[in-house]
Amino acid sequence: MDIDDILREVDPTFHAIPQEKRDLQELTRAWIAERSAPELLPWPANGLFERINSNIKHQIEKVEEMTGDMDPKTNFALIVIQTELERYRYLVRSYLRARIAKIDRHTLHYLSTDALRSRLSEMELAYATRHQALLHNHYLSSFLSSFPPNLQNLNDASAGISMIEAPDLESAVFIRLLKDASVAARGVDEDDDAEMKESDIVILRWSDAKPLVDAGSAELV
Amino acid sequence: MALPLPPGLTHAEVSFLAEMELVTVVPRQRLESIDLLGGKTPALRPPHRADLPLWLALLLKKQRRANIVPPRWLHPSSLAEIIHRETKETPLAFSEPPPAPARADTANPGYAHRQGGQQHQRQQEQEQDGPIMSAPFRPSCTADAPAGYLPYHWLEVAEALLAHAGDDVASLAASSLGEVRGLLRDLVEVRAAKMRSSTAQLEGFGGGLMLLRGVGAMELAESRGFVLGVVDGVRKIGASAEAARREMEEERGGEEGESDEEMGL
Repeated sequence: MDIDDILREVDPTFHAIPQEKRDLQELTRAWIAERSAPELLPWPANGLFERINSNIKHQIEKVEEMTGDMDPKTNFALIVIQTELERYRYLVRSYLRARIAKIDRHTLHYLSTDALRSRLSEMELAYATRHQALLHNHYLSSFLSSFPPNLQNLNDASAGISMIEAPDLESAVFIRLLKDASVAARGVDEDDDAEMKESDIVILRWSDAKPLVDAGSAELV
Repeated sequence: MALPLPPGLTHAEVSFLAEMELVTVVPRQRLESIDLLGGKTPALRPPHRADLPLWLALLLKKQRRANIVPPRWLHPSSLAEIIHRETKETPLAFSEPPPAPARADTANPGYAHRQGGQQHQRQQEQEQDGPIMSAPFRPSCTADAPAGYLPYHWLEVAEALLAHAGDDVASLAASSLGEVRGLLRDLVEVRAAKMRSSTAQLEGFGGGLMLLRGVGAMELAESRGFVLGVVDGVRKIGASAEAARREMEEERGGEEGESDEEMGL
């Protein structure tokens, strides 16, 4: 902590939200979004998970240090720290598992183009590639090898129908607006276009909600 | 290890989120600041109030280390006012969500601004500030939260406070817990009826937007599967009609474009 930090703490006009709280907000938002969106969302690019992982590691080390301490005061602090650690790790775990579920479901789709590949983290990409290779080899050894060679692919797009299944981007989602924005949405009988206020909750199609969510003017709920 | 749950938060996950809401406590013991992953907790010095996440406040309450100050909207008079508004004034809509917290504007001393306003200056500042905070990170369940507005996690927070800090709620209201419980039950029913009647709107859901301003997290979780199922079903049934309409509009748009050019000539 240097003099700037101290000044910042006592300066009432400087109301920056601490980094830890921002990370928690971002993690929670990413988790809710991943749990609600029909497709895989881009892996956060701003180093959020690197920060979170190193924080968790530090916290675990601290718990290990404190466990040796028998003082009742530290003991209670330890309970609080461990409870929070578990809550935090649950968020991270649930987020990663929700992503794996989506990757498992449409592996070939997410591996098909570079734009879609870039949504996966390095680990997820390695997992998806290897899992898909294993699966294909298994299919080949159990039954695909007895097919003619031109029918052994899993990504056949001839005859106008692609074998690769894609998530339904038109599914409906709930979003909450974070700032006043105009929302345009397509419907069956008519298209709607409305000015919406902050903290409005709206049902619309994911493909219409995506630009708002990407721009940060709305979040999935 | 993939998550086997369908899209959309479940009830348990919504309650988990609600436990992150900040509430105000009055500590009964000193407790030093603890360095948590989500930021430092304030140092507790009785009898100074402090804002803590609900899960921590409940832990302190169970160990009799603190009392919880229930939010003002949980007061019977506030609940009664909300019920009156929900039934008499706006019988079709949910009551308004709490206004965004206001802050002093550093650029224009003397002016206050709210989160999410239209001022562009604000938005620039917001970007420097990082993400815009939303529930459960807005202080909508603390003692300072305004009366008469239900926050997003109202039902979960109210249930948790009634179950684990009933004596605190009773002391605030200076009335029996039964009254608060009864009012909450009424409110749940009034709003559930609205949620059900909004499904009538779904029946002919032809537009692309449906607004549910002021709805709570639990109410959403309850009807999410049904509402989204109906919206998706209507879309699939009407897919061909929609495609035909789009084609017609495109043609008409094309013709208009041409006639405009002719006019111009």
